[in-house]
Amino acid sequence: MTGQDGWEPEAAELVRPYVITKGRELPDDEQLSLITLVTVSPDDTRRPTRLSPEEQSLLDICSAGYLSVAELAGHTRFPLGVVRILVASLTEAGHLVTRPPVARARLADKEILEEVLNGLRAKFG
Amino acid sequence: MTEYLGNPLVWALLVALVAAAALVVRQRKAVRALRQETQGLRDHYAELENDYGKSVQAAQERAEDETKTVLKSAMRTLQGLAAEQQLVLSRLQSKYGDSAILQDLLEIDHTNSQFGRRAQSIAVLCDGWLGGRRDTASVYDVVRSAQGRIRHFRRVEILSQVDFGITSRAVEPVALALAELLDNATSYSSPDTVVEINIRTVPKGICVVVDDAGVGMSDEERARAEKLLSSERASGVAGLGNPPQFGFAVIGVLCERFGFEVSVDSSSPYGGVRAVVLLPHELLTAMPEKKAPAPAVRAAAVPVTDGGPEAAALAAAPTADGLPRRRRKRPMAIVPGNASAPRAAGRSDSEQAQIMGAFQRGTQSGRATQPEAGDQTSSTPGASSEGHEDS
Repeated sequence: MTGQDGWEPEAAELVRPYVITKGRELPDDEQLSLITLVTVSPDDTRRPTRLSPEEQSLLDICSAGYLSVAELAGHTRFPLGVVRILVASLTEAGHLVTRPPVARARLADKEILEEVLNGLRAKFG
Repeated sequence: MTEYLGNPLVWALLVALVAAAALVVRQRKAVRALRQETQGLRDHYAELENDYGKSVQAAQERAEDETKTVLKSAMRTLQGLAAEQQLVLSRLQSKYGDSAILQDLLEIDHTNSQFGRRAQSIAVLCDGWLGGRRDTASVYDVVRSAQGRIRHFRRVEILSQVDFGITSRAVEPVALALAELLDNATSYSSPDTVVEINIRTVPKGICVVVDDAGVGMSDEERARAEKLLSSERASGVAGLGNPPQFGFAVIGVLCERFGFEVSVDSSSPYGGVRAVVLLPHELLTAMPEKKAPAPAVRAAAVPVTDGGPEAAALAAAPTADGLPRRRRKRPMAIVPGNASAPRAAGRSDSEQAQIMGAFQRGTQSGRATQPEAGDQTSSTPGASSEGHEDS
């Protein structure tokens, strides 16, 4: 048995993450990835009072422009999945809008580049 | 008369009479003695009975005390383990926050909280440890903490909030008492109904009202609940029935020890029980400050230094850990937000010229250093091939 008195483990957070997410399930990866961009919905002018403090603070953080889900997690210090659940529910309620991340530039085909280079060399070199 | 004197029969009669009288007297004496003896025996018996009752009671008390002590220290261990596990779970949740494991971790966390609460309740009945020290917390957070300690927490809805905090000393007891109330409310109502919580300010303090849409309590149950909530309750874990009903006994002990009130004597508008927790002013304080970094202030409140994203970043206040906080005054060009279009149109001519000038200077300096830059990139291929595969 560990010591009876004097041994006080530091208490964990009072409100557990599953209460903050209200027990909702994780959203799909495709629907909301790490780099999905999130901002406050332009139609959402009045702030509903029924939101939890965590949801309110997410809306505040997002209010100035697009931020990625990963950045939101960094600011709020919640586990990433928790932020994803919150963002998904806020999006569903129409308070946030998401947009897929900007597509990565397609890489040019190496062979074509080589052919072009050879052509240029043949012509000018 | 004298002729009788000679009669032996008369003498015999006389002798018999005397003997009878003596016998009667002796019998009387014997009866008296017997009576006394009975009385003595009766007294002795009463005394014995009394002593027996006393010793039985003493033994019972001793046994109760011993049970309490054993349970108390056993629960202390369990509570410690639950708290430890909660910390481990918190760590795991942030470590594996981005994977699907999180879902399961949250579930384990939920089970662990319920387990911790059970141990805590038994500890309270045994005058034991209530839990680690807590900081002051908002009433809303304490209610949510209570919500998290019951099985059917999804069915609980908090409908209103107040701007008050609860003193650190009262955070755990209030959360535990509320959890017991919510547990009752959710267990005695059908699974598809919602348990509503309203937090209201009243002249005496703050009321947390829990309404369920269950079947309500019978008069008998109500009487039992009221007895447990009042000070007439028997202490300890004896007499809680099988399966034990901890709820009201725990709440009663907590109310008495920490000075708040719980009543269950009204019925809810939904037909079930309405439980009201009254938190007096002594247990209330101002709203605690947020521990997490405060969210970026709304754009309007910040003086806008319109010198591009760099200037905005410099002006941003650092976060709690000394890192500069990124503040998006203007969305990055790569992902123009909805607000960027009107703002771009509103730029003055001089601003426009400034931006174009900066752009030109940038391209010029880029061209000027190109040869060296080429050499550098060949030595450090990673630097220039950001996001592209090396060929």
